[in-house]
Amino acid sequence: MTAVQLRAKHVTRRFGAFTAVDDVSMQVQPGEVVGLLGANGAGKTTLIRMLLGLIAVTSGSVELLGGPPDRERRRRLGYVPQGLGLYGDLTVRENLSFSARAYGAAEPVLPPALTAHADVLARELPLGVQRQMAFLAALAHSPEVLVLDEPTSGVDVLASAALWDTIRTQAEHGAGVLVTTHYMQEAQQCDRLLLMSNGQLVAQGSEADIVGSTTAVAVHTSDWAQAFAALNAAGAPVMLEGRAIRVANASPAELQEVLNAAGIEATMQPVPATIEERMLVLARAANAS
Amino acid sequence: MIVKEFRELVRDRRTLGMLVVMPLLLLVIFGYAANFYVSSLKTAVVGPQASQVAKMLPSLFDVTVTEPSGTQADAETLLQDNKVDVAFVTGQTPALALVNGSNLFAAQSAVAALNKAGNKVKTQVLYNPGLKTSWVMIPAIIGLILTFIGTIVTSLGMVREREAGTLEQLAVMPIKPSQVILGKIAPYFLVASVDMIIVTVLAIVLFGVPFNGNPLAFALGAGIFLFVVLGLGVFISTISQTAGQAIQTAFFFLLPQILLSGMIFPLEAMAAGIRWIGYLLPLTYFIMISRGIMLRGEPIAALWLPFLVLTVMAVVIFTGATLRFRRDLAPGRPASPARKQPAAAETVGTA
Amino acid sequence: MFGVRSATVRFGHTLALDDVTVEVPGGSVVAVVGGDGAGKSTLLRALAGEVPLDGGTIEAPPKQRLGYLPASAGSWAALTVKQNIDFVAGIYGLAGEELTARRAELLDRASLTPAAGRLAARLSGGMRRKLGFIMAIVHRPALLILDEPSTGVDPVSRIDLWRLVSEAAASGAAVLMSTTYLDEAERAAQLVVLDSGRILVQGSYDQVRAGFAGVITRTGDPVRAEWAWRRGRVRHEYWPGAGPPPGTTVVAPDLEDIVIALSLVRRNEGSS
Repeated sequence: MTAVQLRAKHVTRRFGAFTAVDDVSMQVQPGEVVGLLGANGAGKTTLIRMLLGLIAVTSGSVELLGGPPDRERRRRLGYVPQGLGLYGDLTVRENLSFSARAYGAAEPVLPPALTAHADVLARELPLGVQRQMAFLAALAHSPEVLVLDEPTSGVDVLASAALWDTIRTQAEHGAGVLVTTHYMQEAQQCDRLLLMSNGQLVAQGSEADIVGSTTAVAVHTSDWAQAFAALNAAGAPVMLEGRAIRVANASPAELQEVLNAAGIEATMQPVPATIEERMLVLARAANAS
Repeated sequence: MIVKEFRELVRDRRTLGMLVVMPLLLLVIFGYAANFYVSSLKTAVVGPQASQVAKMLPSLFDVTVTEPSGTQADAETLLQDNKVDVAFVTGQTPALALVNGSNLFAAQSAVAALNKAGNKVKTQVLYNPGLKTSWVMIPAIIGLILTFIGTIVTSLGMVREREAGTLEQLAVMPIKPSQVILGKIAPYFLVASVDMIIVTVLAIVLFGVPFNGNPLAFALGAGIFLFVVLGLGVFISTISQTAGQAIQTAFFFLLPQILLSGMIFPLEAMAAGIRWIGYLLPLTYFIMISRGIMLRGEPIAALWLPFLVLTVMAVVIFTGATLRFRRDLAPGRPASPARKQPAAAETVGTA
Repeated sequence: MFGVRSATVRFGHTLALDDVTVEVPGGSVVAVVGGDGAGKSTLLRALAGEVPLDGGTIEAPPKQRLGYLPASAGSWAALTVKQNIDFVAGIYGLAGEELTARRAELLDRASLTPAAGRLAARLSGGMRRKLGFIMAIVHRPALLILDEPSTGVDPVSRIDLWRLVSEAAASGAAVLMSTTYLDEAERAAQLVVLDSGRILVQGSYDQVRAGFAGVITRTGDPVRAEWAWRRGRVRHEYWPGAGPPPGTTVVAPDLEDIVIALSLVRRNEGSS
């Protein structure tokens, strides 16, 4: 087993005048689950495609299992794109049979959850089952690296937990896993996080590293609707959580002023910021520039 | 890979149907329909010696009208109304044989036979004196173009909404199904009409195809025919889930019309068992109108049959399509009105 | 007050909705949670009048006062943002100056003003969803139905969408939305959890938490596999009736725990 399974070294990718990925360096080690976060257009998909060898780099280098991502190395890779890559008019069994043979692996044994659906057409299955099947197809050849694009998007909690079970088991067996997600609660399931914005890697590490120096203030008030409207009108980056309002990177004093002017009573409380608030702040900065 | 493709093919019933049924259908049609040789010509004989001449004619000429008091003008009217392929005018020397040039193959058969009679008969080909194929084909092709635009393009337009999921949104909005259909058809109606005018003008200019009849009658006939094919397009869209299916179904409706409408193979030459299919197809009737007006200058009153048939077809198809469409768009609206909310629910404030 | 009462919907042999009652009061957001096949879409489409009921009644405003965002795109790909809004506004009877003002206001609130001339097909997923949303509220509907508005949308757009939804509710509209994201359900005034067409639990988040029976423990090695599931690096286990064995770590359940636990109850105790 190679020491590092996926690596990008100062990778840049340009499309004409547009820089999609800007000097990004990252790596995924065996046994760890790395979460790749970022808004649409941040460069996540482009980075992944370079790591998989689907497009060339403009400068820098990528490594898949210790070398350039050629066909031989890709055999040892499992990839589940967001579109799942399943054939709608083939049954579960037929789909698995096809991908197993494409990779030169043995046909996988169906787990109990899928046996009931074995002869159902893929397009008639619920999304959660489809995702399970796509996973199974990607894992049939015992890959050493897994790349998963939004693995649990649109799936209910129970099925989502089952999918993460599978992901964790793979990691425990030594595979390195790279996951992209928009769902922050899912990000918390990862060992390490990477945050991209505008093509650059702006933060990496634990959740605290990603949040960085972003602050947040929780506003407690009985009149949440009016308070929300007032703060929003004042241009503050507001979010709702439960019945409480949160504002990122704001000073409690300023917020109090706005609310007083609107005749609303409220108490302020500094709270730890979330990853979403960091992303909100980044997005507003990008829009302002 | 091969196995996978086979499996997918087996599941795709429409494609499978086309692959198996289409060749069989083509074979049968070609076998029984494809015939350029007309073996029996409908004939009229007018003039003083009508009865005698009628008895003398070879069996090729199937005399359906014998009119001793008829004149040449009467004979020409019969031809104009496409009631006969040949009309003999007796009472003059030599006798006059008028041939209906708009039925190309019948005319060719007639001319070949008449030439054998030598100086006893003077042959005159009406409506298409040069017996040009283009003069006979082009009025039919105009109909084909309209069919093409109407059926294929309209079915695609509707199916696109279904595939994109926007049909759902339309269903929930205060818009009537008939409004949706009309809105969808209008651009294609316009485009098809413009296309038709261009093709007709080009035909006249490039190929010298005559336009002997009433342009307004032609426009009316074309308009009704357009409604029929557009209605067919809407109908196809209500039974297709994807664009691929829509095109296949449209093609399935198009192919018989090309082969059995009298555009290529004359209807009279087809075996009776196949010919009746031709009489079910809308294009057949449009061709009667377009050839009648362009080549023969037929007045609209004489064309009442194809006009009537097309009108009935238009009404039936449109009603059927609208009903199906309505089912798609508004299945669940309860008959009893929902309890209306008092003004409290009116949105206030900044929304 | 809008909603459905004892609604039942059958598709062939499948019971998509089974005696479901959900009320959607004006001025609040009701979130429907559940996996694929739970019946969320069917419930929303039944209220929108797209799916006929096999039993039960619905209370819904006439089409003129209803706004709907389907689970699919929600906008016409070949039209620009502005053209999309104009088309929909026209159907609802908005025109002239009123239309221009309303359009400008909505584009601004959804942060879509710079993209007004862009084709809908060229918008990112989040922006397209926001477009669909403002198209659904252009006529200030009394009832707003949103089918998974934020699924697959990037976090920042999701925040924007949530802000738009809250504003609509704050202005008096009754909002019914479906979601697979539990954090959104937590924020709603009422949440409804569906499982195989039936309601698992409903109420405000506080009510649901208060009404939850049983205990959740955190463990590395669960005692009963069919009552355990993975949370991050550890597993949680649910003890519905009798208490857990001593020495296990009890955790305060969050919504994810509650939903999973209740789903397991239904699965393990064999529902018909």
